[in-house]
Amino acid sequence: MDLPEERIGDAVVLDARGRIDSTTAKEFGDRMIGLIESGCRHLVVDFKNLVYISSAGFRALLLAARKADETESALVLCGITGKIRQLFEIGGFTDLFRIYPSREDGLSALR
Amino acid sequence: MKRPVNILYGVDDSPPPLVTILSGIQFSGLLSIYLVYPLAVAREAGVPGAMTSDLLSFSLLLMGLAVNLQALRRGPVGCGYLCPAVFTAGYLPAALLAARQGGMPLVAGMTAFAGLIEIALSRLMRHLRALFPPEIAGLVVMLVGITAAENGLRFALGIGASQPIGSPDLLVAGGCLATMAALTVWGKGPLRLFGVLIGMAAGYGTAAVVGRLTPSDIQSVVAAPLARLPTGGHLGWSFDPALMVAFAIPALAASLRAMADITTCQKINDAEWVRPDMRSISGGLLADGLSTVACGLLGSVGLNTHTNSVGLTNATGITSRRVAWAIGGVLALLALSPKVAAVFAIMPRPVMGVPLFFLASFTFVNGLQIVTSRMVDARRILVVGMAFMSGLAVEFFPAYFAGLPARIRAFASGSLVLGTVLAIALNLIFRLGVRRIQKLTLDPAALDPKRAEEFLEEQGATWGARRDVIDRAAFNLAQGLETIAEGCSPRGALEIEASFDEFNLDVRVSYVGAPLELPDVRPTNEEIMASEEGQRRLAGFLLRRHADRVQSWHRDGRSTVLFHFDH
Repeated sequence: MDLPEERIGDAVVLDARGRIDSTTAKEFGDRMIGLIESGCRHLVVDFKNLVYISSAGFRALLLAARKADETESALVLCGITGKIRQLFEIGGFTDLFRIYPSREDGLSALR
Repeated sequence: MKRPVNILYGVDDSPPPLVTILSGIQFSGLLSIYLVYPLAVAREAGVPGAMTSDLLSFSLLLMGLAVNLQALRRGPVGCGYLCPAVFTAGYLPAALLAARQGGMPLVAGMTAFAGLIEIALSRLMRHLRALFPPEIAGLVVMLVGITAAENGLRFALGIGASQPIGSPDLLVAGGCLATMAALTVWGKGPLRLFGVLIGMAAGYGTAAVVGRLTPSDIQSVVAAPLARLPTGGHLGWSFDPALMVAFAIPALAASLRAMADITTCQKINDAEWVRPDMRSISGGLLADGLSTVACGLLGSVGLNTHTNSVGLTNATGITSRRVAWAIGGVLALLALSPKVAAVFAIMPRPVMGVPLFFLASFTFVNGLQIVTSRMVDARRILVVGMAFMSGLAVEFFPAYFAGLPARIRAFASGSLVLGTVLAIALNLIFRLGVRRIQKLTLDPAALDPKRAEEFLEEQGATWGARRDVIDRAAFNLAQGLETIAEGCSPRGALEIEASFDEFNLDVRVSYVGAPLELPDVRPTNEEIMASEEGQRRLAGFLLRRHADRVQSWHRDGRSTVLFHFDH
């Protein structure tokens, strides 16, 4: 899975591209948790370029959110639109995460 | 039927009298714009001024009759909704052709014939729907827009007129168009709503200033009585078999348009709408056809349901059929006032042409939106592309088509006719090989969910399905296969079957193995995080909620899950 990251100030923006399914969810989850455990206190995950997310991807997000809570880090999501947004709503995940329209909005919220 | 939250007064409600009357006045003002169509045809036929006034008075009455016929809910006539109708650009090319060849009597006779075609189609449309997929309906609307724009420009610029157009006429046309455009883009509230009418008024004003409205024109309005029953001095009927195709194609176009508008009426009045009510649609098509027959009998041009008016009912939140009675009443009062008709009868040519051109923009884009509302494959691209460009060829190379043998020429009498006939023929040909049920077999050990998604994408394009429905089905198929492969211990191949008709998309997955769990209660976050079992239950929950209906069964060791999506 393509997961380019960019450091902006003290935040890290992770660009989730392509598909998060049972074959890529572990890599996705390990990457987020790895960043948090290595000291990243502000993590923005950008879903703008994501085309598919399955239950495995949602589980990876929940595990990363739990790790962020444990370390008092901030995990925010952005760029969730269209059919991906619909899945977040059906699964009841829009109330569990801080979600912003764009990465700029997410970064502003973290400052 | 459940009233949507944005609807203040639903179809069966009785709004306060003042609300009903004001709505009636508002719609009547908007509908009166479309008097430009019978006016344009009357001018082409050389109808004298006084008779033109009577024709326009009858035309007002006919629009009132049409909206009342549509609102009927008992018996075979009417869709039962507030669905106003106007004189339509679709009939304009054929009517102008008839006007040139045989005057208003030929227009009237052929219009009545077109109405009979619509009536026949109203009885048959339920069985013919497969022949007229949305891309053909959209193409027809686009071609209607183009022919309306062409005629609008012809009138506005005086192309082919006996008297050459001068700078004052261009000033009138320019002022009229600029006012309409400005109010539509930047206006708010009533200014925007009545932007076309205000633009026409601005055109009249400019015409008076530059001398294109003469004192005798003004005098004819002043001299017209305030109230009088219109006479039928313009009435007469004739028929020409050579024009049957030219009028039958717009009748088909009108039927397709009416079907779409009535479906919209159903949707905006019912929050639980699932699929078109064909009984209401049949009644509505019959009402549309009867209205057009009445237009022919009273010497005017063809009517059709009005998309923008249906949209306005949704925007105002007032869809009560009582407003139809109010519209009929207001239009009848206007019809009984020769002064109103006289104002339209003196309309300068540029003022007549500009609204045709302006409104054609909306018609054309509306058609484009209908075409692009569905997925396309090479078949559909060729049907729409080749038919559209062939239709345009009639306008680009008129001399060539005029030289064709008479029998063929009838099918190329205009871009609308040729484009529609070709689209229907190409669609019939290219339907060969299209099957409504398609199958795919996958190996769970080497599962590629993307392959399954691509399968549905390809089928969606072949079927011309809605993109959003295919997207939902593709997710369910991919997530379903993922979960089956990981949690149901499938043995042997996964058999996938997708079937489609205009109202239903069903995706079925069948395999030897344990049934797929589809809980209707979301697992807790702790359950999801605790194990892959929780993740699978989340998957089942998403699958259930994401489809419109899910069924799962297990027989003789074989499990099947069916995802149903309303289309």
